[in-house]
Amino acid sequence: MIGKLAFRNVRRSARDYLVYFLTMTFVTALMFAFNSLIFTKDIEEMFEVAGLMMALIGLATFFIVLIVAWLINYMVRFMLEKRSREFGIYLLIGMKKKEIARLYQRENMLLGTCAFLMGMVLGVLLQQIILAILYSMIRIKYDLHMEFNQNCILMTAGCYAGCYLLALFRCGRRFKKMNIRDLIEAQKKNEEVRESHEQLKKWLFPVSVGFLALFAAFIFLGGIKGGGQLLFFLVGLVLVIYLFYVGLSAWIVCYVRKRGNAVYRGQNLFLLRQFSSKLKTMSFTMGTLTALFTIAFLGCTVSMMFSDYQNKLLDVKFPFDVQINSGDVEDDFADEIQLIGEEAKILEAFSYHIYANVPEDVLTNMQDSISAGQTDGRNEERRSAGADGYARQPNQVNIWLSTNLKSFGKTYLQEDGSPDIEKIRKDSGGVYCYYDTYMKLSDYNHLRRMLGYSEVLIEDNEYLIHLKERIKNEVDTLSEDIVIEGSRGELKFAGYYTEPFSQDGHNGGDYVVVIPDSQARLLVPYYSEMALDIEGEAPIGLGNLLDDLNSLEKEEEEEGEDTEEERDFAGHRPMRGNTCCGSDTIIVMSPENMVRDNLIPETRYLLSTLIFPCFYVGLVFLCVALTVLSVQQLSDSAKYKFRYSVLRKLGMSRQEIDIVIWKQLVCYYLCPVLLAVVIGGSISVFMSGKFIFYTGIHSVVFYYFFLSFLLFFGIYLLYFITTYVSFRRNTGAEE
Amino acid sequence: MKDYIRVCDVEKYYGNASNVTKAIDRVSFTVAQGEFVGVMGASGSGKTTLLNMLSTIDRVTAGHIWYGDTDIAEMKENALAKFRKENLGFVFQDYNLLDTLTIEENIILAMTLHKAGKKEIRKRCDEMLRLLRIEDIRDQFPYQVSGGQKQRCACARALINRPRLLLADEPTGALDSKSSQTLLETFTDMNQKMQATILMVTHDAFSASYCSRILFLKDGRIFHELIRGSKSRRDFLNEILDVLALTGGEGSDDR
Repeated sequence: MIGKLAFRNVRRSARDYLVYFLTMTFVTALMFAFNSLIFTKDIEEMFEVAGLMMALIGLATFFIVLIVAWLINYMVRFMLEKRSREFGIYLLIGMKKKEIARLYQRENMLLGTCAFLMGMVLGVLLQQIILAILYSMIRIKYDLHMEFNQNCILMTAGCYAGCYLLALFRCGRRFKKMNIRDLIEAQKKNEEVRESHEQLKKWLFPVSVGFLALFAAFIFLGGIKGGGQLLFFLVGLVLVIYLFYVGLSAWIVCYVRKRGNAVYRGQNLFLLRQFSSKLKTMSFTMGTLTALFTIAFLGCTVSMMFSDYQNKLLDVKFPFDVQINSGDVEDDFADEIQLIGEEAKILEAFSYHIYANVPEDVLTNMQDSISAGQTDGRNEERRSAGADGYARQPNQVNIWLSTNLKSFGKTYLQEDGSPDIEKIRKDSGGVYCYYDTYMKLSDYNHLRRMLGYSEVLIEDNEYLIHLKERIKNEVDTLSEDIVIEGSRGELKFAGYYTEPFSQDGHNGGDYVVVIPDSQARLLVPYYSEMALDIEGEAPIGLGNLLDDLNSLEKEEEEEGEDTEEERDFAGHRPMRGNTCCGSDTIIVMSPENMVRDNLIPETRYLLSTLIFPCFYVGLVFLCVALTVLSVQQLSDSAKYKFRYSVLRKLGMSRQEIDIVIWKQLVCYYLCPVLLAVVIGGSISVFMSGKFIFYTGIHSVVFYYFFLSFLLFFGIYLLYFITTYVSFRRNTGAEE
Repeated sequence: MKDYIRVCDVEKYYGNASNVTKAIDRVSFTVAQGEFVGVMGASGSGKTTLLNMLSTIDRVTAGHIWYGDTDIAEMKENALAKFRKENLGFVFQDYNLLDTLTIEENIILAMTLHKAGKKEIRKRCDEMLRLLRIEDIRDQFPYQVSGGQKQRCACARALINRPRLLLADEPTGALDSKSSQTLLETFTDMNQKMQATILMVTHDAFSASYCSRILFLKDGRIFHELIRGSKSRRDFLNEILDVLALTGGEGSDDR
């Protein structure tokens, strides 16, 4: 009998709490689909970084389990409250509390299992979509196929059961404290509007708004510095999210009490009171919903940022089919060419040098172990005849960029504003090389031909600078501040070029100065490069083979030598600080051996380990928050039905009541979202600004937030319409 | 006094073709302006159905209900809402106050729906609160005040728009005897001082004894009518009890 009762109750609950049921189904589907990303065999075999995806999805799952458990717990308590009268009757006819508790738990299990099974069916569909997206992202052909990985199903079931266990953990205790009268009366109890200290509480509203404004001002002006301030703002934000609603409700109450003019217009009085009393009883839940919405926004925004990056910038980052760097200026790349030749058909292999303007005294002393400090000191004295601090130094461009680019801030400036040359030298070999990087015009034009760009002609007494597009806007005065000596005096500046040119350490870091071949006699080779054009796509794993070759060479060398510093290449000493990777941050890819067709999928996969979990978290949080919002409203519809019937008796027409319902739902739905938009929006815009700045991607700062907002709004609208329709049906059933 | 409300051959059937219940069976009567009419009858006699049709909440199956020259039986839904707003006031057994609004706000709400100005609303509201002696609880919420006070608030809300007819459905049903008496005296006051026309449905003889005329309903038909005239309330009460005893209705309540 109890089994039958439980089954009936489940059917009724599923109908009454359809939104909840559907959300649980959807969450299961999402869990299954995203978990299957971890367990896809092809990918596991293909990428070394597959573990990263597992770690990040695992991390996302952890938070999702917590939040879904909160949802279940909330719903279990909620349904218990709404059905208290029914439980009172069970007690009245002689059921034991334990039996009721068991009945209720059984119902929940049944409901959960149904949602789970339906979710698995939907999950298989969703899995196909997600895998198709991932595969097309990493450019592998995907054939639709069902993948019923046992572990994946187990993991999904485990997570799901975990949510339920967490949620039902304390449910039994609730039944122990029950009392028949309370249960039966609970439903009749009117909402008690307790108003105390409203005048005081109302100040929480302007204080919260003020705090948000301060927060926005601080992050946009880049004012948050140090852990202390960060902690202050974090704690403040959490407090504001919760106290905002207490304040807002008190503010409305005070306004109504003061009998402001709006109170006397139309249905405002009803709406304001309705809204404030709802906020008052729900301020904590509203706060939590705001937090969830904010996190959902941020998750989606991060997702959007990185997916935009891989759509727009990745191809630009690797213009050559294969490019190989060697610190050894006499490297002829014979091993590499042989290896690549075995794997693919080489159409063209072009090796060249990047040059540096190494001072003569350093050059002459290369074989002796003169300490770098002394050299530099003399060097500086000898060259100080230049126009200003940068000019005529062998690393003048590096110094200029280090001290003028916004991304470095004041890192390389001394207190008086002059360049901190010592520090720049110390850090060389990272972002920039020790010396400025130069290229011969003939090499440059050859490379341009390989890439399909038109050749460049400059006079014998001219030079040009090829740099990253991102930097271009910041280097207006670079050409005026640097001086490049040719054989017959200073060279003239002939312009900037900004086509994609592999400038993350291969053709210089960020920039390369191109000078006519005739002037290159003054320079010395700094490191070697080879660019290759191969037929078709490079085979998978070519990059790894090249890397293996390198490490083999290194091992051999290291056997003979003690330290890397002392390492030499067949008798000649290496050049100082001849590695760099440019000033890109956030996503930096500068391997010595760059095989485009290997790197792009690899990078895409790496990025997708960020994109997918962020998206996953955003989606689940959004659905959970919307479910709570909509269930809250729907379950109150009985109470509202009475209120609307009073309004009808007062002479309101059906249309007018529809408008009231519409306004009420919109207010209620918009409130937590608006706050989340303000908080999430300002953080997102700030993050996007930084992201665009550091990666040099062509986007507007609002773009990512706008995208996630659109997505958000789509799902939000879906829930809103569902709620509105059922709400109207519930409250208008009397017709 | 001229006829103000005319109920002509009103019928109301419930159920389907095979099983018809006649809740109201060809009822006709008139109410004059400024009258305080009571409708009495046992449970199931059709008095609430009659009230619902008079109050436009329910529709007639046949017949006409004339308010002056307007036949509400012929009106459309929207017109009815407008009519209700402009002509009728309601008092119910369970008060029907909105629990999220204070006593004063419940009264204000009724006027804001009429799009009255702020000044006028305040003036009329203060007047009404004073008249019904609920001034000191104006800022309380319904759950904080007694049943009698709630019912007086409901009266104030019903009367604030000066309706043509005040409809009361068992207004004393949930009140103790002291509060009932106060409320009924309020009704009499409103009837005499404000010339409010009142139609009250009750099955309580004591409440009915405040009316100026009583219609007795049984099985959907009017079977008797009593007019108070110049009789004292006590005599009138005895007369009512006699009628009830005669019909075997609920006449045991002789407070």
